[in-house]
Amino acid sequence: MGKERVIVIGGGVGGYPAALRAARLGADVTLVEREKIGGVCLNKGCIPTKVFLHSASVYREIKRASLFGLNVEKLEIDFNRLLARKKTIVDRLTGGVTSLLKSKNVKVMKGTASFTDSKSMKILETGEVLIGDKFILATGSIPAKLSIEGSENVSLLTSDDLLNIESLPSSLLIIGGGYIGAELGQFYSRMGVKVSIVEMLNRIIPTEDEEISRALEGFLSKEGISIFTQAKVEKIKKDGKNKRLIFSTAEGKKEVITSEVAQTVGRRPYYLGMNIEKIGLKTEMGRITVNDRMETNIPHIYAVGDVTGGIMLAHVAMAEGECAARNALGYPSSVSYLAVPRCIYTSPEVACVGLTEKEAIKDKGEVQVSRFPFHAVGKASLVEETEGMIKIVAGKKYGEILGVHIIGPHATELIAEAVLAIEMEVTVEELAHIIHPHPTLSEGMGEAAMLLSGGALHLP
Amino acid sequence: MAIQVLMPKIGLTMTEGKIVEWKKKEGERVEKGEILFVFETEKVAFEVEAPQSGFLAKILAQVDEIIPIGGVVGLLIEKEGEEVEVTPKKPEVIHEDIEKRVLEVRPDRTDRIRATPMAKKIAKERGLDLKNVVGSGIGGRIKREDVEATLDQKSSEQVLPQIAEGKLVKISGMRRIIAQKMLVSKVETAQTYMTTSVDTSKILESREKLTPIIEKMAGVHLTITDILMKITASAISLHPVINTRWTPEGIIWFDAIHMGMAMALEEGLIVPVIWDIGKKSLSETAKARAALIEKGKVGRLTPDEMKGSTFTLSSLGMFGLEEFTAIINQPESAILAVGAILDKPVVINKEVVIRPMMKLTLSYDHRVIDGAKAAQFMKTLRELMEEPILVLA
Repeated sequence: MGKERVIVIGGGVGGYPAALRAARLGADVTLVEREKIGGVCLNKGCIPTKVFLHSASVYREIKRASLFGLNVEKLEIDFNRLLARKKTIVDRLTGGVTSLLKSKNVKVMKGTASFTDSKSMKILETGEVLIGDKFILATGSIPAKLSIEGSENVSLLTSDDLLNIESLPSSLLIIGGGYIGAELGQFYSRMGVKVSIVEMLNRIIPTEDEEISRALEGFLSKEGISIFTQAKVEKIKKDGKNKRLIFSTAEGKKEVITSEVAQTVGRRPYYLGMNIEKIGLKTEMGRITVNDRMETNIPHIYAVGDVTGGIMLAHVAMAEGECAARNALGYPSSVSYLAVPRCIYTSPEVACVGLTEKEAIKDKGEVQVSRFPFHAVGKASLVEETEGMIKIVAGKKYGEILGVHIIGPHATELIAEAVLAIEMEVTVEELAHIIHPHPTLSEGMGEAAMLLSGGALHLP
Repeated sequence: MAIQVLMPKIGLTMTEGKIVEWKKKEGERVEKGEILFVFETEKVAFEVEAPQSGFLAKILAQVDEIIPIGGVVGLLIEKEGEEVEVTPKKPEVIHEDIEKRVLEVRPDRTDRIRATPMAKKIAKERGLDLKNVVGSGIGGRIKREDVEATLDQKSSEQVLPQIAEGKLVKISGMRRIIAQKMLVSKVETAQTYMTTSVDTSKILESREKLTPIIEKMAGVHLTITDILMKITASAISLHPVINTRWTPEGIIWFDAIHMGMAMALEEGLIVPVIWDIGKKSLSETAKARAALIEKGKVGRLTPDEMKGSTFTLSSLGMFGLEEFTAIINQPESAILAVGAILDKPVVINKEVVIRPMMKLTLSYDHRVIDGAKAAQFMKTLRELMEEPILVLA
């Protein structure tokens, strides 16, 4: 018997890990990508936004360099250099993935793959035919768009556009206060753009813990970002060179005149062109239906990542891609969604895992909560990042860690410990007991746990 | 320098111990005070702690090996990889502090079980042994849901009528040893039984007369069992084949009679021993019996007081049982099971009369004791019990 032929559609963070894992497990793998290897994450998502945000953060550090006893004479933004750097980083990383695929003998083909029957696909652009034993679909998502009255006459930007903008606008209004809106809003604000965020729900990053979301709202407002919540967009108009957005809030109608309007209202699964209707692949509300083993209704076809409409995060897609590859090749696997970290690269950063306080109360009844402020962590003082806190939500009876929510310096790095804690069913007792390195920000995690297990050392 | 781990001496008469289990493997790190190995002597198992921290370099006595006290059973080294010279096992002087490090077997521990902290907490709270849980986590780690599923299954099992209700209770060290001993007794001896009835009128009479005297002499209350043990010892001295032990080398005929008395505890069975009962007066026997039972009840018997018996008497008369058979307390050759004294119609001189009757059942190892020899012993025993004054003869 020859090697199992695995065909992966989509070279993003769902597809390429699936291809690499399948190849490592001994399959003959072909990966088809219509655009660029790396998908949204590498080309127009995680990586480029974080390149931007890192520059914004360095910019802030230099601006406040005198705090650290450093005088900097002249500081200016070179936006073109910044864009060039973004391209360099993206190219380096996508190049890295390409060579990884090559090293594992994954055949990469460019084009749009379309099912001709459940075992074969045709590349529409070239007419080439691919026959496979197993298929892993990882075609991702595209930015969602609202239908707004007047938008037919006014050009609205997407998150893709915000990453490829040629020059900085003087003002920018972002519809949607989720993590993409918050991150890009802060970046443009720090680049000197007047930024407004319009969010339909009563707070930004509305799916996260309320306290954390309120805290972030405070930080962004303090930096000069105008935030409107419970705001329903009504219409958009041209106003000379500018755009006028009209929306209603609890306090009545409001309007903002701005040079650009972008919408970051989430993403929707994308599978156009694959011709999945023809083979009877099951979809639900515009997403491919899968179980926790990433199996679709057709036994040899798997789907992973954003196209399944689950948790649309790169690291989830990656885990799902690997899971699908394992199952496709006879190594039973499933994805655990219990401890999926969620990171927002604003400054201060936000990182959460597990249940919010409200969800935990709903789910478990009684819970216990601790909040440890970064101002009580020595390392935070020496890096002048004393704002924010680590919040732990734990079970009442056993103290099992249900959720950890961090807003503060390096939150996105600190959360990894909490991910392990939740996945391994650690309780506050163990988290308080283990030794955290000193001086580090991670001491805050130990102290937050101590608050629920014997009391913190560094709080009065 | 390697440190020798010795077979400790835990009682005055202990001469050797059998290795039951090594809790550590060769090369494994041990901390001072951690349990290093378990040995058994007679019916009781003991844990031995590591005398100091280090690595278990060498196991010199394997499981089931019998090592004299002071014999070297293993070697500890301070640093990993240190060279050790294996010296022959030879008994050495026992230090006092070794005795102190010996503890009685505690319930089995849940070491080597991979479980999340939450799983452990719930299992502990609900009294579930994690050994009975299959883990579904990475590398078979037991997770909360596995524990809960097992608990659910247990509770659902309880509603199914065809499955017996109940909870699983861990086997204690004592239970394990009892089980082993009992099975060995059944499997390795040729147990045979015979029963006789005894008229106890005279025993009861004697007891009535003797009770206040013994009370005065020894300060203890005389029991029927005391009298029975004493009379049985006299019968044994007339039939020494009963007081023997089968060994591969030959049959040992003991000079002295050390009488074991089976005693039930909440958690199992122990057999305290009245040493050299043949040389003890009735009051001394009663006194010794009372002291042993007192200690046994509070778990203060020393190993020396629970071993070395050459014959055992087991009485369940207090439960009103007419008769029963007892299992030979290995390595003895026989055991006497004493039933209750019950008023029964008996025929004496062709007339039916009521007499306080008692049934005695001897379990004997037919390898050593022939049926006729056993019957002779039982005949003597009955005669002595019916006419206690013959003991003086």
